[in-house]
Amino acid sequence: MSKTLLEVTDLRKHYSQRRGLASLLTGQGRVIPAVDGVSFYLRENETVGLVGESGCGKTTIGRTVLRLTDPSGGRIVFGGRDITHLSRAALRPLRREMQMIFQDLDAGLNPKMRVRAILREALTVYERPSDAEIASRIRELLAQVNLKDSKLANFPSELSGGEKRRVGIARVLAVRPRLIVADEPTSALDVSIQAQVVNLLRDLQKDLGLSYLFISHDLPVVELVSQKVAVMYLGRIVEMGLAETIAHQPRHPYTRILWSSLKDKQNTEREHRTWGVFDFEQPVSGCRFAPRCPLYQDKGRPAVCTDPASEPPLRDLGKGQVVACHFA
Amino acid sequence: MMLLSIENLRTYFYSRPRRAFVRSVDGVSLHVAPGETLGIVGESGSGKSVTALSAAGLVSGAPGVIGGRIQLKSRNLLDGLERYVKVEERDGRVMAVEKDERGWRRHAETSMQGVRGKEIAMIFQNPRSALNPYSTVGRQLVETIRLHTRFKTENESKERALHWLERVRIDSPRLRFDNFPFGMSGGMCQRAMLAMALCAEPSLLIADEPTTGLDATIQSRIVELLAELKAETGTATLLISHDISVIQRLADRVAVMYGGTVVETGSAAQVLAPRAQVRHPYTAALLASIPSTETIRRKSYLQAIEGEVLDTIEVPRGCRFYGRCDRVTEAVRSRCAGLEPPLAEVAPGHKLRCWLYPA
Repeated sequence: MSKTLLEVTDLRKHYSQRRGLASLLTGQGRVIPAVDGVSFYLRENETVGLVGESGCGKTTIGRTVLRLTDPSGGRIVFGGRDITHLSRAALRPLRREMQMIFQDLDAGLNPKMRVRAILREALTVYERPSDAEIASRIRELLAQVNLKDSKLANFPSELSGGEKRRVGIARVLAVRPRLIVADEPTSALDVSIQAQVVNLLRDLQKDLGLSYLFISHDLPVVELVSQKVAVMYLGRIVEMGLAETIAHQPRHPYTRILWSSLKDKQNTEREHRTWGVFDFEQPVSGCRFAPRCPLYQDKGRPAVCTDPASEPPLRDLGKGQVVACHFA
Repeated sequence: MMLLSIENLRTYFYSRPRRAFVRSVDGVSLHVAPGETLGIVGESGSGKSVTALSAAGLVSGAPGVIGGRIQLKSRNLLDGLERYVKVEERDGRVMAVEKDERGWRRHAETSMQGVRGKEIAMIFQNPRSALNPYSTVGRQLVETIRLHTRFKTENESKERALHWLERVRIDSPRLRFDNFPFGMSGGMCQRAMLAMALCAEPSLLIADEPTTGLDATIQSRIVELLAELKAETGTATLLISHDISVIQRLADRVAVMYGGTVVETGSAAQVLAPRAQVRHPYTAALLASIPSTETIRRKSYLQAIEGEVLDTIEVPRGCRFYGRCDRVTEAVRSRCAGLEPPLAEVAPGHKLRCWLYPA
């Protein structure tokens, strides 16, 4: 069994929002719990998929485990080292081991730099290689991401979506990371190009032994690339387990809805249910999914679901599957 | 009798840095019958959206629409506009375009009056950017209703607006009426957009990527709503999406676009059937690149279409898909490389643009 690379325990990230004069004067604002007590771990050469609706805290987790945002609570252990409170200077050498692929294709690419310069910059951040070494590393990177040499002289604006994504990946690979947080790496791409990128990411994992935290709301892709999948709702993990189990034997009502909504798009017959959108403004009492939960309705609104004292904890169902529901 | 007939539509843009035309829509013909939903699929840059924008007379950028017919019911929307354009062609290729932009625009605006919003309504990919951020959803809806329907008074139009908010299944419409777009979720905004588009009871609805950018759960609800409204109102729809599952669910007929042309068209059953024998290689590749249950179970590789989407500036002489096609045989290779295949009918109503299936 491979070693644990990243371990996150009870991670919290609360944003405070101040609105209006009253809150400005009293210094008190509303607190938005974007991530509210999340624990998981990631082994070497493994992919953990993170799914959920937008606003559920997926990206915040990705950013917080890399310490791009400071956590409000909890513990992040990377490669056996507690990095929760490391200073910027102490983090710097660790940065090269953990990298992020951003959803926005242009986010990491300077529009005024040619591809060659972009890759060169990434190669010289941590090392001082000779020109010959840089040239050979650039060739190696291009081969790794299947990009033609001729693209080196191009500016990012002259590249297609798929090529931009490849340059972004090459840039991340330049520092030889161990962990990559891939935040919606395919959502900005066409289906045909998506397939190329998904294949590429899987090849790279095999060849370089990378670990991915794969954030996406494209459920089939997540199921395909991940060994484990964590389903998030309103800042918490509500279900986690092996990808096949989560996809085919989901236990949490939310996971079921998420997966069935995928099939609904194709199927004509479906059960019709109305369920609202989640809302950080409503204070949570008990299970945070209860207001939208079909199971809660079916069971005749049991009191335990909305009891403020009992937010359902993650229960172990065996075979590595955990679920936060009183009735699953 | 077709509701909308687009014949040989050409919409070009001029790329200043490359000093050449971007042939976004290059000879597209499409037909929508009353009450029918035509789905257009294709990668980004294939000309789907520009085709729709051309039909609604909303193309901005020069030279824009330079030729063809857009017939809505019995009226050609491009009628009389040809005199503003002079096209220089060599071997069937447009080499230079001279267009009197102002004359065209003035004329086009006049002929689109009473059509856009009334006969043709549109919903777009990003509903929030299509709504006016400074006005409540109710106000915007009332404005549309007063402009396009017989409900002119304050009370009548408000009643009508609430009626439409209800029909697009917005919870507590009376409360939502006074909401600003920023106070509503993406799915809710898309519903409001849909209400705004349908309240004039148009004969054609153009839905340009109506579910893209929404969450998976919300997407399926919007698709569901579109299906229900289609059954209720019978509005003909031009549905553009790169999400094939959405097209599968909603379209009666499908047109597959690649590099500014239609490469395959037919009924949804013909074009998207899982194991069709006769099929354009591009459609086949597009369908294969979606992760299937089988691929996921076996954790095998996805079948990607190698290469990139066709650059519509340097359009090849032969088949536009030739460079990426994996089904070229020696028997047809020279034709694929040198001559653009015609859209040939292979079965009743099913047309393909491929040398493997000559008529």
